[in-house]
Amino acid sequence: MSAVTVVSAGTSGRRPAHPARALARAVLRPHQSALWFWGLLVALGGGGLLWAAGPGYDAVWDAYLKSNCREADYCDMGPAYQHYDLVVGLAPAALTVAPLLIGAWAGASLIGRELESGTAKLAWTQSVTPARWLAAKLAVPAALIMSGTVLLTLLNRLVWWREERLRQAVGTRDWFDFTTFTGNGTLATAYALFALAVGVVAGLLLRRSLPALAAGFAGTAALMAVLQANRHHLWPVTEVRAAASEPLWTGMLVDRGIITASGDRISNSLCEDFDCGRSDVVGYWAQSHPSAHFWPLQLVETGIVLAVTALLVPAAFHLLRRRTGGAA
Amino acid sequence: MTDTAIEAAALGKRFGWRQKGWALRDCTLRLPVGRVCAVVGPNGAGKSTLLAHAAGLLAPTEGGISVLGTTPSAARERMAYVAQDKPLYPQLTVAETLRMGAELNPRRWDAAVAERIVEEGGLDFGSKIRSLSGGQRTRVALALALGKRPELLLLDEPMADLDPLARHQLMGTLLADSAEHGTTVVMSSHVVAELEGSCDHLFLLGGGRVRLAGPLDALIAAHTLVTGPTGDLAPHTVVESRTTGRQITALIRPEGRIAAGWQTAEPSLEELVLAHLRAPGAPALTLTDEGDADNSRGGNGGDDDGETNGTRTHGASV
Repeated sequence: MSAVTVVSAGTSGRRPAHPARALARAVLRPHQSALWFWGLLVALGGGGLLWAAGPGYDAVWDAYLKSNCREADYCDMGPAYQHYDLVVGLAPAALTVAPLLIGAWAGASLIGRELESGTAKLAWTQSVTPARWLAAKLAVPAALIMSGTVLLTLLNRLVWWREERLRQAVGTRDWFDFTTFTGNGTLATAYALFALAVGVVAGLLLRRSLPALAAGFAGTAALMAVLQANRHHLWPVTEVRAAASEPLWTGMLVDRGIITASGDRISNSLCEDFDCGRSDVVGYWAQSHPSAHFWPLQLVETGIVLAVTALLVPAAFHLLRRRTGGAA
Repeated sequence: MTDTAIEAAALGKRFGWRQKGWALRDCTLRLPVGRVCAVVGPNGAGKSTLLAHAAGLLAPTEGGISVLGTTPSAARERMAYVAQDKPLYPQLTVAETLRMGAELNPRRWDAAVAERIVEEGGLDFGSKIRSLSGGQRTRVALALALGKRPELLLLDEPMADLDPLARHQLMGTLLADSAEHGTTVVMSSHVVAELEGSCDHLFLLGGGRVRLAGPLDALIAAHTLVTGPTGDLAPHTVVESRTTGRQITALIRPEGRIAAGWQTAEPSLEELVLAHLRAPGAPALTLTDEGDADNSRGGNGGDDDGETNGTRTHGASV
């Protein structure tokens, strides 16, 4: 087991701890309420999703069978579905909102308040270097955040896998819905880690909790918004064409339009009718991402988010070093 | 091992880019180990800036500072620092705060010392820091600093929020600790009275520059308070003089014998400090310990040191 460092005789009766574990505890202790909040959120989300994947889904499926609905039609499945839909909608939404909260918390509470109230000076004049302090401030929350988001993501996927028949039957959710897409893959974790890094940088840069709170929140929201708006560019689209009528596409529609006699391709997304009021239409096209593009899109976006995070972490250490006089 | 606790060489710190933003300029001083040193000066003199540099919390704009024979960051484990506003985590209890001290100083922590200081103040280990008064918070901050068993203790305005009784008691604890373990203590203050009788070394800062530096008794011995009829005080260096009617009272640095007809007295620490604060133009004086091998200029040349220092200071300020 781990080497035990002998601490000078103390009356507090605490057993000596491994220095790294002691540092982790010291870093976490001022943030007990945030820790409780995160633990509660993960427990509630996890419990809800476990219920949804088990009895919740079974009840919905029973209600569906009893309702004699035809495929893809409107279907009243009663309160069973309402409860199920609430849980299954809230959990990915929580995973999508979590990075915003993490960014705000990391900026304000984790770093900004320490610099504003001077407790950072207290920490930096103990035996650990400021760089180790920052490393612990990044690593310990990152580990806790990751375990929470990964757990919730896996449970989201469990529900997604369980409810496949229902989705095909009634069409309840699409894989490319904003929160579903984020909560069903690696993105929730990536955004959460990015939020931690952007909050830490904001805190070190602004050195006050309220501005850092705003910056951590806004920085996270900005990247999420930009990538969400440009998500369809992250992987080559699949194009289908048809001569007589609009082609059948599946999944996330990116753009569609007409082909004119002269061979021009014109998007009809802004037109009022299919033909855009033209008479020389010889064909139709549609570009979309089929569900097979879920993982490529997911992984490219995750890669971008993690790359930005990887740039922010050294920036945070650089800012710290500039503040504390090049202390190693 | 080194016998120097703090050594600053032409240390300068400018905040921001303003030309006038120098908090500390051309600060050269040396503090031997084992001393209890007072850093005195008016508000904005650069006391906190000097201590923060020693604690490794600020990077010098120019010059350098070494602590316990090495860089401030390399000496981090061997020194303790209490900032002016006594920052502590308000949401922690006293016991949790001390536990944090143990966790962050695994190789040095002495829980008994820290707990004794807290107990002497009658503090409850279970109370939250945010519920404590300013003085009680100071006590916890000092407990955290002393629990680290530092070789060098840097205290920025340590006694400001304490009532006289607690001040006396904590100062006693500090001095006993210093005497017992040979801890070097550096404390800043703008209240001179709070330091009288407890320190044996003085740094007087003013306007970001060193005005006086050296062992307290040597500094006092280098000055004389003279009273007499108005007249020429040459060749002595006059720090400050005040005329009341036909009487003149002056603090001087004697150069040779003082002429008959002057009443002489040894100045107190407060008189020495106040005279220098009232006369910002007085030349600076740096004295070193007698027989200190580190310093070639040595012992009795104090007055000469003062002159050269003064000249250089003035030259730099033009």
